[in-house]
Amino acid sequence: MIRQAVLVENRLGLHARAAAKLVRLASRFSSEVYLSREGAHQKIDSKSILGILMLGASQGTRIVVSIDGQDEVEAGEAIRRLFEEKFGEES
Amino acid sequence: MSGKKLERLFQGNGVSSGIVLGQALKLDSHNRVILKIHLDDARLVEEEVRRVERAIRASKEQLEALKIRLEEKVGREHSFVLDVHLLMLEDKGLRAEILANIRNHRANAEWAVRQATERILDAIESLKDEYIRDRRSDIENVVERILFNLSGDRPFSHKPLPQNLIIVSHDFNPSTFAVIDLQKVRGLALESGGRTSHTAIIARSLRLPAVMEIRDFISSISAGDTLLLNGDDGQLIVNPTQERLEKVRNRLEEFRSMAEPVASQTVVPNVTRDGTPVFLLANTELPDEVKAAKRCGAEGIGLFRSEFLYFGRPEGSPTMEEQLKIYQMLSREMNPHPVAVRTLDTGSDSVLAGLELSGQANPSMGLRGIRLSLMARKAFCTQVEAILRASAAGKMEIVFPMVSTVEEIREAKALVEDVRCRIPESSGGVAGSVPIGAMIEVPATVLTLEVLAKEVDFLCVGTNDLIQYMLAVDRGNPQVAHLFQPLHPSILLCLRRIAEVAGRTEKPVRVCGEISSNPFYAVLLLGMGFTQLSMNPLSIPTIRKIVQEVSLEESRTIASRAMVLATAKEVGEYLINAVSQLVKINLAPYVKEITAPSGRANRSYLS
Repeated sequence: MIRQAVLVENRLGLHARAAAKLVRLASRFSSEVYLSREGAHQKIDSKSILGILMLGASQGTRIVVSIDGQDEVEAGEAIRRLFEEKFGEES
Repeated sequence: MSGKKLERLFQGNGVSSGIVLGQALKLDSHNRVILKIHLDDARLVEEEVRRVERAIRASKEQLEALKIRLEEKVGREHSFVLDVHLLMLEDKGLRAEILANIRNHRANAEWAVRQATERILDAIESLKDEYIRDRRSDIENVVERILFNLSGDRPFSHKPLPQNLIIVSHDFNPSTFAVIDLQKVRGLALESGGRTSHTAIIARSLRLPAVMEIRDFISSISAGDTLLLNGDDGQLIVNPTQERLEKVRNRLEEFRSMAEPVASQTVVPNVTRDGTPVFLLANTELPDEVKAAKRCGAEGIGLFRSEFLYFGRPEGSPTMEEQLKIYQMLSREMNPHPVAVRTLDTGSDSVLAGLELSGQANPSMGLRGIRLSLMARKAFCTQVEAILRASAAGKMEIVFPMVSTVEEIREAKALVEDVRCRIPESSGGVAGSVPIGAMIEVPATVLTLEVLAKEVDFLCVGTNDLIQYMLAVDRGNPQVAHLFQPLHPSILLCLRRIAEVAGRTEKPVRVCGEISSNPFYAVLLLGMGFTQLSMNPLSIPTIRKIVQEVSLEESRTIASRAMVLATAKEVGEYLINAVSQLVKINLAPYVKEITAPSGRANRSYLS
């Protein structure tokens, strides 16, 4: 079980296209990946695009990612990179 | 499954009176009906689960094919939106929620899909981020596709539609009245609209209780919830308690008996107690209403509002043949009584497809009625041709709406003559005389009635618009709605003048506004000298009783006393008192219609 905080840095936030990328990436791993707003209880499955949209994470939101499973280390690393690279939107 | 649900009360604007109890029927943004149907049989529940799964699978296949085509056309950059839609279809949370809705509520697939979607849309609606909030339309798109595939799959037919439905929706397109089974609908609860909206007018004419401008209530209601709708005081109560139902039981019963179709009446001529003949005609809008008109003993259709034929037509206006069929049906059904077709009167609350009407800052004073007809002559002549041709089957009359000058009448009459000359004898011909009338609804026409009356065969008083223009009050605007006073002394003066001039010039005159259907106002109109009243068909039996119970003498006295009072309130109080002493009918349900709207709805807008 890994818990790490990431920052939504891209201008449009976790909007549809970014959410789609996150779902596709998370779905590649067998681990369970949950997201929550920092300080909030509600957890959403990062393999659910509707869940991510309902999170309503705009630019500057801090998100806690919890990953649990065999490939949790690789998954955590990949997800962190996706956030850092601003979902490949603003190079 | 459903535990004890809490009662909730919503305040809106009661635009069509009456009180009813029913089951919520939700319409979605496409005015599509989403019913909750309870499945008794466990096998049916699992069948619904399979239906949803098939529909989701079919939706995915369609989207994947679409995505490939879109990529070829516009490149991956833009086709990603379909990727998002595909991911939504694959969303395990959504699927699980839909299936749980089916199984836990033993409900049909359509309802389960709609219910799950609404929860998600509400959650997204509450977000602060505008960009993400706008994703609602993507979700709607996906859900639309699932629902479409469900309907193609097999329309739910486990049970006939339930009775006693109350429609719950953001808006209600008047054309939907045509496709919905009116035998089963008992009321309307809408977020949008207003007293003068077209839907409100139709609701009143159908005696269908309606509350509009209820704010933020749709998400609190699930299809199938029990609703108590009160069109008198504008309240909607969701899941009413037993105690509350006890309290309103008598009023529910009273309204039901009032709305009950009257047994077919053999039309004995309507005469007042002292023998003055009075003609009671029907205002109708839907072709189907002719049945109600006949059943209630209408002596003609005093005003057929033809706008309904034009609604929802992307190609513009209905063809001559389509209109002819309807007008022929009306004239044949009503023969030997007259059918007066009011030519197209699109105004502020209706949109005519095919004509550029958008962008009028003040549409009710803009290009509408005869003004529009004289600009869009082709559509006007098509309608006139259909009315003239239908006159071979019965008595047809033409009425021009929104007349403000004599020139307009002359010009429109010349067009009617042109059309008449062009109709070949072989087509069945045209009756020798098709009377032409003008709506008297612009104050200018009241003041110039002597000259105007010379140009026409008869007059129709459109009181709804006349009051609005005379008092400069837009009844649809809640901030001034309380100033919309049908009993304002100026309105009484207008009406008396119209009756006098019509008498002097020997032109038949008919009052076609809603006020004719109010017993108090009907007595006032009789006393002023009007003997033709046109109203919604279901009001005719009540007004007939009123007519038979009063004498012309008494009504004249009432009218002349009312004429000298200073305010609408005084007139109202006087009428309630005077008319109640004359007739034996229970007039309580009609009092509200002539008392000025209370400030309740208005205050909430101002605070």
